[in-house]
Amino acid sequence: MAEKRRSGVAAILSDSKPAKPDTDEEFLSQLGVGVLLRGALLKLVEARSEDPIGFLADHFSNLASESENGAAGCGDGEKDKATQEQRLARALWHLKLAHHSQRSAFNNNVRIAYELLMQGGPRRGGGGGVRGRIYTEMLRSLCCEGEVSESTAAPLLRRIQCHDHEAVPFELFRQGVLTCVVFSDYVRTSRSLYIVVRPSPEAQAQRALCQAVLGALRDALDTSQCADSARYLEASAKIAPCRLAKAMASAYKPRGGLGGSVMDPKEFEGAAAALFIARVRVLS
Amino acid sequence: MSDNVVVCIVKPAVALQLGDAKTDTSRPGVSVIDVTFPQCQAVKVQEISFKNYYTAFLKVRLLRRNPSNKEGASKWVTCLRSHRLMPNPHTEGGSQDYFSIYRQQMLIEPDDVTSIRFILQQPSSTWLNFTLEDIKIHQCVSEDSERDIPPWFSHLTPVDQPPNLHGLPDPQTVSSSIQQMWALTEVMQTHQTAAPIGRFDVDGCYDVNLLSYT
Repeated sequence: MAEKRRSGVAAILSDSKPAKPDTDEEFLSQLGVGVLLRGALLKLVEARSEDPIGFLADHFSNLASESENGAAGCGDGEKDKATQEQRLARALWHLKLAHHSQRSAFNNNVRIAYELLMQGGPRRGGGGGVRGRIYTEMLRSLCCEGEVSESTAAPLLRRIQCHDHEAVPFELFRQGVLTCVVFSDYVRTSRSLYIVVRPSPEAQAQRALCQAVLGALRDALDTSQCADSARYLEASAKIAPCRLAKAMASAYKPRGGLGGSVMDPKEFEGAAAALFIARVRVLS
Repeated sequence: MSDNVVVCIVKPAVALQLGDAKTDTSRPGVSVIDVTFPQCQAVKVQEISFKNYYTAFLKVRLLRRNPSNKEGASKWVTCLRSHRLMPNPHTEGGSQDYFSIYRQQMLIEPDDVTSIRFILQQPSSTWLNFTLEDIKIHQCVSEDSERDIPPWFSHLTPVDQPPNLHGLPDPQTVSSSIQQMWALTEVMQTHQTAAPIGRFDVDGCYDVNLLSYT
């Protein structure tokens, strides 16, 4: 593609070239297809999707609907709702492209999603921001995509969601989105932790063991607010394998098969989520 | 280093007198500064620091209390012999420098010191006035650094007997999962902004004039 563009430019400058490639290359460069394809390939590389055809199909259909909506004005209520849902879906698609640990790619995608959502009703939305209702919908969908159940996500959403009429500035939008994706990762990790703690796939984990493990996490999270490096050292000392082994050995009841109480996965997930949500700042 | 400076009384410099004080008013180029401590306390000296003013050579003597017999007579001992402060007494080099003399440089251990005598020498006729300024005596810091160690330090040494892990989940896997969860919570907490959404703002402020009497 690169050498085609180069020779295409050369063809424009010089007259003596065979007839067929000349028209083709001129045609392509006039339409700016090179730029389109390059953008698509860059996005694909950033996302590293396993289904490149599906990804490219989504990407081009998004572009198509964006240009379509740009041309059309503000229609009636029904059409508006449909376009809003479309925008939401497209914003979600952008946000899923990069994991939150890929800091700069993730931030770029958040910016794109924010601008996309800002387009919906610039006259009705509050000064400078995404509408509260759309923001809350966005967060709810993110939690859903991250396989977090409604009941687990509900307390988190209560803390960070916005009223319908409020306008959400970019900083808050980014923070909310980051909190939701990090929360999904957190819940996923807590599920795998439960799988490790339970004795076998059929049985449930002992309540005492679960409480010992979650207690260690709570201790580490509650580490005193001193200088960062000291805090990390102290927290990591609290969740070191030897400390955990000691805590679990003292909590374990070998004859807990019949008499000892168990904790089901839902309760464990809820308790772990509560530790996270307690540290999320309430929006005001 | 400045928090262990001992309060000391520095007496003004006394020039060496040869012959009769009234008839011979020569400048001998030797003077003496005495430093004592209030309430006759005995000090364990860590460091002596001062600012030079055109002194070429320095000799330091200490008055030490007799260590074996506290009531016995004190002795004057030399702790620094002819220490050169200026490489060339006629020129400016080192004439106004800051100097520090540490305990390791001294000939004897400066413990139980009640008085310090500085003997200043300036053989050059170029510099008529010479002295030491800003003399500070630093004493040894006591060894009580143990109070700075946080309590969780003592938990770092591994247990002698590893606990019986029969039937328990693998601590390494559990630990790594908990570490991931801790790190995710940290990420969330560090990215929290204090930016408010202004939910309770009335046009950005509470204006008393918005209230009405009726």
